[in-house]
Amino acid sequence: MSRLEAKKPPLFISEPLTKDTVCQSLLLLSRIFKSSYGPAGRLKQLHNGVGGCVCTTSQSSALLRHLSVSSPVLRVLTASVQNHVSRCSDCGLFTAILCCSLIENFRSLNVAPCTVIKITKNLLSLCTDYLKSEACGCRVSVDFSSVETLVCLVRSVLTSKPACMLNKTEVEHLTTLVLKAFLFTVPCHVETNAVLGKCVIIPVKGRRVMDSTVLPGLLIETPEIQLGKPLAVKRTGSSMIKIALFCASMSGDSFSPEEGTIAVRHGTSLEMSELNQLLNVGKQLVHDGVGLVVCQKVIHPALKQYLKENHVMAVDRAGLSLMEPLSRMTGSKPVASIHSLSPGCYGSLKDVSIERVASKHFVHLIPGDTVICSLILCNRSETAWDELKRVCETAEHVLQLTMKEPLALLGGGCTETHLASYIRYKSSSLSTSTFQDLGCSQTQYQLVADGFCRSLESVARSLNHDGGEILTDMVYGHCWFVPSGLPSVSNWSDVVSKCGCGINGNTEDLSWRILEGQSCSPVIQGCPKEPSVKVTDFLTLDCFAAKCSGLQVALETANLVLDLSYVIEDQN
Amino acid sequence: MAAAMAEPVPELPRLWQEAAALAGAVRGALGPRGGRALLLRPTGEAVPTRDGRRLLEALRLEPPAARVMAARACSHRAATGDGAKSFVVLLAAVLGGLRAAGGGAGLRRALRAFEAQVLERAAARGLRRHWRTAPPGLPEARLEALLEPYLAGRLGPGERRRLARLCAELCRRCAPTAAARPEALRLLARRFAALHAAVPGLPLASSTILPGIVLRRDFAAYCPAEGELRALLVTEPLQPALTAPGVEFVVDSEGQYEASLRWITRRTEALVKHLQSNSVKLLLSSTKQDELVIYYAQLYGVSVVECLLSEEMALISEITGVSPYAPFGDDMYREITETAVASFCQPLLLGSKRCVHIGFTSVCAFQPHCLILCGPVDGVNEQHAAALQEAFTMLQQLFKTVDQRGECKAEGESQNKASDVCSWDSSPTQKQIVVENISCNSNQVSECQLKALSDETETKILAPDKSSSLVDKQKSYSTAVLACNADTVTACELLDVGKGLEKTCCNIVPFKQEESCVGIAQDHSSSLIEAGSVLPVGGYFEILLHYYIQYYAKQCQQSEVAVVSNVVADALLSIPKALYRTTELDSFTKFYLKAVNSLRKNQPLPGNKEGLESVYCKYQLVVSVLHCVTELLSIDLIIGIKQPVQKIEDHDSEDDF
Repeated sequence: MSRLEAKKPPLFISEPLTKDTVCQSLLLLSRIFKSSYGPAGRLKQLHNGVGGCVCTTSQSSALLRHLSVSSPVLRVLTASVQNHVSRCSDCGLFTAILCCSLIENFRSLNVAPCTVIKITKNLLSLCTDYLKSEACGCRVSVDFSSVETLVCLVRSVLTSKPACMLNKTEVEHLTTLVLKAFLFTVPCHVETNAVLGKCVIIPVKGRRVMDSTVLPGLLIETPEIQLGKPLAVKRTGSSMIKIALFCASMSGDSFSPEEGTIAVRHGTSLEMSELNQLLNVGKQLVHDGVGLVVCQKVIHPALKQYLKENHVMAVDRAGLSLMEPLSRMTGSKPVASIHSLSPGCYGSLKDVSIERVASKHFVHLIPGDTVICSLILCNRSETAWDELKRVCETAEHVLQLTMKEPLALLGGGCTETHLASYIRYKSSSLSTSTFQDLGCSQTQYQLVADGFCRSLESVARSLNHDGGEILTDMVYGHCWFVPSGLPSVSNWSDVVSKCGCGINGNTEDLSWRILEGQSCSPVIQGCPKEPSVKVTDFLTLDCFAAKCSGLQVALETANLVLDLSYVIEDQN
Repeated sequence: MAAAMAEPVPELPRLWQEAAALAGAVRGALGPRGGRALLLRPTGEAVPTRDGRRLLEALRLEPPAARVMAARACSHRAATGDGAKSFVVLLAAVLGGLRAAGGGAGLRRALRAFEAQVLERAAARGLRRHWRTAPPGLPEARLEALLEPYLAGRLGPGERRRLARLCAELCRRCAPTAAARPEALRLLARRFAALHAAVPGLPLASSTILPGIVLRRDFAAYCPAEGELRALLVTEPLQPALTAPGVEFVVDSEGQYEASLRWITRRTEALVKHLQSNSVKLLLSSTKQDELVIYYAQLYGVSVVECLLSEEMALISEITGVSPYAPFGDDMYREITETAVASFCQPLLLGSKRCVHIGFTSVCAFQPHCLILCGPVDGVNEQHAAALQEAFTMLQQLFKTVDQRGECKAEGESQNKASDVCSWDSSPTQKQIVVENISCNSNQVSECQLKALSDETETKILAPDKSSSLVDKQKSYSTAVLACNADTVTACELLDVGKGLEKTCCNIVPFKQEESCVGIAQDHSSSLIEAGSVLPVGGYFEILLHYYIQYYAKQCQQSEVAVVSNVVADALLSIPKALYRTTELDSFTKFYLKAVNSLRKNQPLPGNKEGLESVYCKYQLVVSVLHCVTELLSIDLIIGIKQPVQKIEDHDSEDDF
């Protein structure tokens, strides 16, 4: 029968983008993103007002995880940016700012959303085709035989997040470490299907960043091991250490069934039976010449003692997350039962040592040939460490993405302004058949293209937080920052030294113009050029895959939001 | 009571208001320029959609009549995969028209007569001249031409072309030969959930099609294997359990307990070893397997995937013809014969999720392929997947026919029995239908042949120099039919003689004289709408039907039928009106005048678009709407008896009848 409680009728909102509350939320969201962007971005302090820890950040992933957006339309936007970040790690703020300003720019145009979407789709394909073509003037190819471009990529990621509180030497130190850790994860002997290894980050809070280091192999925290005692580990003939990996519990209490019941006669002890079986396993391990036993769960003290007496090192509570890298590193198969041990399940290690980092003790498992490494990451405060960890993970992901597609885009706003001037040039020279195909007039196309370019440029303008001027040149279409507080000058070449990405110097007259927010920028005569000199060090570079994907996701999301003609909210 | 029953008329305005309100709610999402609605579920999920069914469901309608309207619209959509929004718009327009015409029981009865006397004639004799026939194999270009306008009504403007391409590509790759297409479309529509995977956070351009199937979970155990491998399906845990729910295991001594555990371990090992010796390299399990099974699988080089969904198991069974293996028979060591063959089995990274990618060798004509859908958010992927699944349903409808029900003499009481005959399935029942048609229409056949002769002479007079090419065309038409379905050839050969000529005749000189029009009008064939009939998209169907309904209504003697004809004819225009809503002000008028002028002058229609739509689906829409109107007007009487509206829920309305 039908329920007695009255169901609320759904809330029907038509044309949600015209509503004031949505507009204000969008504006606020856009301001938060813009003010956080780039190396000089302002930090946001997130706290819940009733205590608990405070998060200081300027990262889109951290911001969006904590922000609760009430407007359903904008929730689509934030969900989309979060999804982008979980795929690509980098360029989250870029995507968010671009998406917001695309919506703002297109909403105010007096063109039907359907037409706007068709035109922007065309503009996007112009952009992606250009970015993927050899003629693209804002990308550089990454040479994996030298580290220079890789260093630039990692450094750009590390410096873009000021909440990590790093100074120049610390940035250099961490750049080296991240790169080293990445190189550890690349397999030396590549078969048909190469799979990258894993870098495990070990947190050490309250220490100097310069104490951070990278070690090959894995570290397992062991509070009970005493330092100073020499490690006596049995080795096999080839001086390797045989290792057994257990995922089953070895605590002797694994007899409780999941379903049903076990009735035990008086005088029978299952505990004793389990312990006997454990000791049998111990005997076999000793007999098989195993030198190290690692258990995911707990090892019974009696078994531990037995193993110790027989010079077998036992490490327990390794945790589920370490099992897969452990298994991969040593080649051992995690044993799931204490009732059977096959000789095929053992793996091998080159060495074992004890490491002490800050106040913690670790067993360091050193493999012969590895794709697994550990990054001991130190930072002074908890919140700065959290930020640094995310940044290091992003940098590692960026390197992985770059390996798949060995290209990088010029950073520092140069890609955005370059693309904008390319689109301005291209859209002024389209044939009439293009407009017919799209079902729009040339004026409409120009209006939308201009909105698109202004949105791109607004991303570049968001890099500036100190009130100076931002210029673009008419030759390369790059982005130039003028320091604030300078007296007004007639000649821009007196005040600018290098473009945003650092590839172009102030050597020739590049006819700079101020990058305006509202009015139309003049169209340059011809396609923006590729920089003539190829400087390779101290460039600001962005991940190609992440930025391309971000550009497309931002546009698709903006289109989705613009296309919404109503919202039906179920209020039950 | 009797007085209340005699006053059904005041209800019509209310019905119309409700229908108009519904139409107002969906009109914004109608057609290629329509926008999307964002549905917010109580769970907080936001799903963008333009699907008429979802919109109507989300409105959670209260008035019973409106609920009936929505239910009919949804059931129409479920059957044809399309048209829920058009249904509501058309329904509102018909009700509005009837209201303006004064309503009354006479009109309701006239609705049925209209269907038999005017609508069917308009479709069979009028529309027929304009539609084209899609060849049974559905070439890819034609597939895209059908898919793009369909998706235009369901997706945003930036997404339709890319998805139409993907969808057409998927059809082509799943069914490389034309003969396999119907089977592939059926499987795609039914098993689409298991044949696609969604990745949020990537642009749509990253979407792709992979050979084989993708299971959206990681390997429990992965052992790389080269070349072809055998896979086994299981539905129960391989490890024997010590106890089960409701079962008590009594331990007498430690020795007995240990022996039991050892036996379990040994038995599990033996089972996995047995798999290995039967060269099974992949174990696909619908349940979770114990860690012990995983351990032994790793040791003996068997990859394991657990927790397969029932639809995935069903799909695998269907494409490989293998049923799940039961390990606990009397003889554990009997040879395993029912194994599926996979050409590869490897991990696949989708977004940041690890998945299993298996290339099964199919035993049927369907070649399994998996569509990887990428979009910025989950809701968009969901919308795309739903639209594609229904597009497959829609494509299946294309090859259905509407049978003409005998002569138009049967008035009033004759219910529309548009029996769906899919010309692809050569099942025994269908054969029978065809045979019956031949036997009962034998008079017609001879009549038809005679007509064909007269038609031929007529066309010779019209275009004497082209007569030979005409005959050629007619022949090629028959042979095409021959190739597509051997079972129906006899019927087609007999019945299509006149039709083929008529078509060619129309192609060259679209009925220049009134005579030819009448000549064709007397032509009979077995089906009202042929399999695979398509028309250009964008309101042509509605304008053509509008035109021909008016044309045939003039021949009708009953005044009430004429009134209904005019109402329906005008209501049909509401759909193209809604389609041209957002463009310039007078664009609909321009379009309409242009189309009607060329119809009057017997010129070909000014169709320049490449998109096509299925005549079957469109015709069914009109028929369903008319049935709904009839139903609503009938129900109206019952509602009229109840005084307070609340009482309707308490009583069973059937009792009072």
